[in-house]
Amino acid sequence: MAGMALVTYLTRYTMIATLGRSDLSPALRRWLRYIPPAVLAALVAPAALAPHGHVEVGLPAWSVLVGAVVAWRTHNVLWTILGGLAAFWLLRAMGF
Amino acid sequence: MRRDFGRGLVATAPLIPGVVVFGLLYGVMARQVGFSPWEAWAMSLIVHAGSAQFVALGMWETSSAINIILTTLIINLRHLLMGASVAPYIHGLPKPWQALLALWMSDESYALAIAEYERGRGSHWYFLGANVGIYLIWPVSGFLGALLGTAIPSPDRYGLDLIFPLAFLGLLTSFLQDRISVIVALSAGGLALLGACLLPGKWYIVAAGLLGSGLGLLLEGRAKR
Repeated sequence: MAGMALVTYLTRYTMIATLGRSDLSPALRRWLRYIPPAVLAALVAPAALAPHGHVEVGLPAWSVLVGAVVAWRTHNVLWTILGGLAAFWLLRAMGF
Repeated sequence: MRRDFGRGLVATAPLIPGVVVFGLLYGVMARQVGFSPWEAWAMSLIVHAGSAQFVALGMWETSSAINIILTTLIINLRHLLMGASVAPYIHGLPKPWQALLALWMSDESYALAIAEYERGRGSHWYFLGANVGIYLIWPVSGFLGALLGTAIPSPDRYGLDLIFPLAFLGLLTSFLQDRISVIVALSAGGLALLGACLLPGKWYIVAAGLLGSGLGLLLEGRAKR
C-alpha cells in the first residue's frame, strides 16, 4: 500500500514540481493549454461509447449525447449530470 | 481565499453520488479479498486512486507487491499530463502548496479546478477545496462498503457510472472556445475510443491526451503561418 501511495504521488507531483518552478517557454505553454480538452474528451468518449471495452451505441451513449446537449447549452456540471441521468432513466423506463 | 476553498468544496457536490457508489463497490470488493473495513479505509486514505485500487484488489491474492506497484504507476501515468497542464497556474506558489495540491489531486478535482482556471475564476484555494471534497468522501464510502459487504446493485443499472463522464463533459465545454480546441477534443475522443478497445488499462487516456494536445499545437502553428 505504501508503495502504491508513493508511485501515485510521484505521478501527480513530478510535473507540478518540474514545470511549476521555472518560467515556461511559450510553445510549451501553448501545448499545455490543449491538454485539458484532450484529456477530458478522452475520459468521456470511451465511457459513453465503449463501456465494456468494445464500441457499442447503447443506453450510455444516448444518455451522454443528451448530456452533451445540456452541457453545450448550460456549461453547468450539475445540469449536465441531471440531464444525462434523466435521459438514462427515461430511456430505460421506455424499455431501451 | 476561504471563500474559494468553500466554492471548490461545494463544486464537488454533484460528483459525490458517483464517488459514494464507487467507494461502496470498492469496499465490497476489498472485503471479498479479505480486507477489514479499516484496511479498506486505510488504502483509500493513503493511496487515494480509485481505478488503481480496483485493479490492485483484483491482483491482491495472485500478484507480487512489485507487480501491483508497477501497475499502479502505469494506471496513474495520466496524472503526469494533468499535473503538467495545471502547473502554469500554480507556478510561483510556495513548494509546500504545490506538494499539497498534488497529494490529493484526482481526475475529478483536477477537472473542476482546471475548468475554473480556464474561466478565470480559479485559485489554489478552489483547487484545494475540490481535492478535499473528493478526498473526504472516498475513504468513508470504502469503509462502509466493506462493512456492509453485501452485494450492492451494480452502478451501471442506474446509470450512476455515468456521473463522472457527464461531469467531465460539463467541464469540457469551457475549453471549446475556438475551432482548434474543438478539433482537439473530437480527435482525442476518437483516439481514446480506439485506444480503449486496443490498449490495456488506462493507456488510452495518456495516448489520446498526448496526441490530441500535440495536434492542437500543430494546427495552431499552421494557422499562424
